[in-house]
Amino acid sequence: MRKPGGRTSPVNERSAPRLPGGFSLPPFGVHQWLALVIVCVALWVLGLLWLGMQAGSQWMGTWQHDVHFHVYMERGNQASLRRLADQLTLIPGVASVRIVSHQETATWLHGWLEGGAVDESELLRSLPGTVEVTPGAEAGEFLYSDIADEARRWGASLNRGELHLVQAQRWLADVERLLWLITLVLVLAMAIIISNTLRMTLLARADEIQLMRLLGANEWFVRMPFILEGMLLGAGAGLLAWVLLWPLILGASGWFAALGVSLNGFILLAPMVFGGGIAGSFGAWIATMRLSNENVATS
Amino acid sequence: MIQARQLMLRYPTGKIALSGITLHFPKGSFIYLTGESGAGKSSLLRCLYGHVRPTSGQLSVQDLDMRLSQEHQVRKLRRHIGIIFQDHRLLFSRTVFENVALPLRVQNWKPDRLVSRARKVLEFVGLEDRLWSFPEALSGGEQQRVAIARAMSTRPSLILADEPTGNLDIETARRIMDYLMELNRQGSTVIMATHDLQLMDTHPGELVRLHGGTLAEKVRHTSPADVE
Repeated sequence: MRKPGGRTSPVNERSAPRLPGGFSLPPFGVHQWLALVIVCVALWVLGLLWLGMQAGSQWMGTWQHDVHFHVYMERGNQASLRRLADQLTLIPGVASVRIVSHQETATWLHGWLEGGAVDESELLRSLPGTVEVTPGAEAGEFLYSDIADEARRWGASLNRGELHLVQAQRWLADVERLLWLITLVLVLAMAIIISNTLRMTLLARADEIQLMRLLGANEWFVRMPFILEGMLLGAGAGLLAWVLLWPLILGASGWFAALGVSLNGFILLAPMVFGGGIAGSFGAWIATMRLSNENVATS
Repeated sequence: MIQARQLMLRYPTGKIALSGITLHFPKGSFIYLTGESGAGKSSLLRCLYGHVRPTSGQLSVQDLDMRLSQEHQVRKLRRHIGIIFQDHRLLFSRTVFENVALPLRVQNWKPDRLVSRARKVLEFVGLEDRLWSFPEALSGGEQQRVAIARAMSTRPSLILADEPTGNLDIETARRIMDYLMELNRQGSTVIMATHDLQLMDTHPGELVRLHGGTLAEKVRHTSPADVE
């Protein structure tokens, strides 16, 4: 017997993969793929830039930020060396000052000569007294010249070679600042890309959103799926970009090893995945805010 | 349950949809809203679930002032209202289960209870075997029954139905009316906009007739003779 309101026309029923609990996966269309690829490329470029920064830092020997200046006093006795050290301590921006002991110098010299047939005691007698100065985090750009002036007042001199290291470190710090700016701009661009993608999804699902509101859903219930989608999109793009960095890291490892650089790709995993996720969530939030505002405006 | 006094609704376009409506619907009643096209039936229903706000007068639904209440209060109220829309408003990209379970998800029902509840309400409308079908594979009557199942899934105290039998054959329309009557017997207040007064032959209720946005007639009746 035919039921009232029974089927009038046979339609080939489609089926969709279901999540536990009976719900379907959200649609993943061409817009989502496009956003994933674009965000992945942007994150890959960012990862590459930060890897370059890591390589530069290691190459310049500043990875651990262990920069020291050395002041040499040719004919000074221990007392004048001590007074010089005390004066150097007073210079603003100096974190610590220590007098390099004769024993430490002898050990270093022995290692440097590698047990060669040279009379080390003769060399040791002619080596100057050395004061090691460690600059603090708040060291200004005139610290090096302040130390040089103070050394000159005491008839001592500063290791000139270390000036290049300071200049290189400053240059690296400038590059790092620029890199943060590029990161910020790219993260915002990624957020906008994801926002526009989700806006398409929101428009396609406008009926569903409207229905949820009519059924009494609060605003966060309506927005949360889209924010989660944006977050997953960003995090997925971050993970993919991180994986795509490895061929480059492994391919160039021999060349970097020759420079004394050992790149750590794992350190970028969390920033890229979480950064992508945050950019995605932010983009989704912007998209849903626009939807909410439009809804208010039209109601 | 529902109280309106000198209710007026003017749309932003300037059209006055309702004017001077004063009425009272007690709990557990079955109301037919009738009137010509543009009489204000759908507008009154929209006012009742807060989709549009009255311009002036008073309207109280389950003790909530629909004119002055905040949006979040209205949304909370809607969780106690089952709405059957004129055009079903089924989500065609979702299965019948997802459509029926949507109000339950909105009310944060535990996921393990959703399937059994959806099955139960679909059994009520005779569609328990279509749980995982998509609406596109259903006939108009079946889609309307899914819409009824969705409206009753949360056991609402108030059901608002906007021409639920429009475009359906007589047999299907009677079946739909049986479901609404049964919901009414179970304690829900049902307010239904319709043009089809013949339904009252077999399904008695209170008649409220609108004309040009005003209340033209309010009759408690049990047969079409009362309407004439």
